[in-house]
Amino acid sequence: MTAVVRTEGLTKFYGDRRGLEDLDLEIRPGEVFGYLGPNGAGKTTTIRLILDVIRPTRGRVTVLGTDPRDARVRARIGYLPGELALEGRERARDYLAFLGGVRGGVSRERIDALAERLEADLSAPMGRLSKGNKQKVGLIQAFMHEPEFLILDEPTSGLDPLVQQEFLAMVREVRASGRTVLMSSHVLAEVENVSDRVGIVRAGRLVAVEDIAALREKAVRLVEFHFDAPVPREAFEGLAGVRDLRVEGASVRCTIDGRPDALVKAAARFTVVHMVSAEPDLEEIFLTYYSEEGGHHARAGV
Amino acid sequence: MPVLVSKSLRDYRRSLVGWTVGITAFFALYLSFYPSITKDPELYGRAALAKFPGAMRDLMGGLEDFTSGVGYLHSLVYQLFGPMLFVVCAAILGNRALAQPEESGTLELTVTLPVDRRRLVFERFAALALGLLGLAVVTFLAVWALSSAVDMNVAFDRILAGHTGILLLSLLFGTLALAVGAATGRRGIAMAVVGVVAVGGYVVESMGRNVDAISWLRWISPFHYYLDGRPLYQGFPTGDYLVLAGATVVLLLTAILAFDRRDVGV
Repeated sequence: MTAVVRTEGLTKFYGDRRGLEDLDLEIRPGEVFGYLGPNGAGKTTTIRLILDVIRPTRGRVTVLGTDPRDARVRARIGYLPGELALEGRERARDYLAFLGGVRGGVSRERIDALAERLEADLSAPMGRLSKGNKQKVGLIQAFMHEPEFLILDEPTSGLDPLVQQEFLAMVREVRASGRTVLMSSHVLAEVENVSDRVGIVRAGRLVAVEDIAALREKAVRLVEFHFDAPVPREAFEGLAGVRDLRVEGASVRCTIDGRPDALVKAAARFTVVHMVSAEPDLEEIFLTYYSEEGGHHARAGV
Repeated sequence: MPVLVSKSLRDYRRSLVGWTVGITAFFALYLSFYPSITKDPELYGRAALAKFPGAMRDLMGGLEDFTSGVGYLHSLVYQLFGPMLFVVCAAILGNRALAQPEESGTLELTVTLPVDRRRLVFERFAALALGLLGLAVVTFLAVWALSSAVDMNVAFDRILAGHTGILLLSLLFGTLALAVGAATGRRGIAMAVVGVVAVGGYVVESMGRNVDAISWLRWISPFHYYLDGRPLYQGFPTGDYLVLAGATVVLLLTAILAFDRRDVGV
């Protein structure tokens, strides 16, 4: 099967400023690809290149087997911009009908069903919608024509947790029907539950592409245990994967690399009154990459 | 009607209705003064000439025959105020085609629709042209009806010629705004260019009649191809109007080529 997206040496400079450099990326049919990186790393630049909003400085990109400059291919794509602008007195319902019409027709029932699912208000003038409601309208327009390929730039920003769950369910349904999703985020937690693979981009360069399960094993996690009585430091020293150990009276703090198994078993010998395990944050995963295999990238990424 | 054209016209609707009502009211107000002018043409004719110094009179189009129906209509509607009101309206609509949505961010989703960029520019131009046509038709009928009501004795086809000129002139400036917006994505730049070309062009054309040093510049002023043929007195200046239409086509092609090759929203 041909790749949904294939880029070769894709590079974009804005004047002297690098947006993206030498991106070689393949997104396979039927997968959910999470595209991670801090703000300004090049995620939106990549997405805009794929959609022909901006043109590459050099390199090539093909989407669904064709050049993105062919406007027809865009009817098969659903796109949620990272900074969605909706304004004016027009009602969301009318705007959605317009977008659906240009993309080949979307039934009113389909729009209503999605609106109900996300609890979106389609009757108010778009300029007066809250950020969350605008984002819902953006999601509806991206999903409504059942595109083969969905490109979602920071899709969960502004959504409350319940709607986020509904959105993730919609993404899973898209994958179940064999269609492909590219979604970007700066928070791993947002994409890790639905993504098959993630790509990590930093300072305009693709640092790694990983299966999500493999990435989770690499994630560095900050863990804290609080016990009912002071614990001896020796009990926690030398455990597999444990780093930066600090034992202060009845509390233990450390970071763990990979599986927490050894640490949990060591802690289980004492009486645990409280434990905190921070979600691995992307920044720390980056640091892991830079300290281990990152030397090469760090040099190239200057 | 292509869906992008109808969508743009829907977006422009409120603005167009506002301009139509405003311009019609403006014309109606001035035409309603005409009967009192005809009661004492000597007084008002002299007053108009005496009130303004020579250069100022040139700017107002001469004011020579201010008290005749055609002179009054020309001086107050077709010389300066009518074209300028239309030009401002056209520049605002021309900016709404690309530059304004690009600055506000709404253009991003539009360019990811399965519509070729060149077609997008063309359809936005078509909406601009149709919008201005609507404005021109309504205000034309209003001027014709009012001028008949106050017995100005200006022939229907002369008013039509003047109004056609205003339409072509404003379409040229609207397309100029659209083209600058298509090339730069900045509506401030587009407005500045339209402002300089419109005000500069008008001054050059009106003053240049009597100032040799700048008279050669009249050939590049868009207003020259509207005012010089004196459509209200002499009917359609066909050649001049073709120049306006041709320049509009050139600007449209420039806009299409410029927009097709550049990054949007950066």
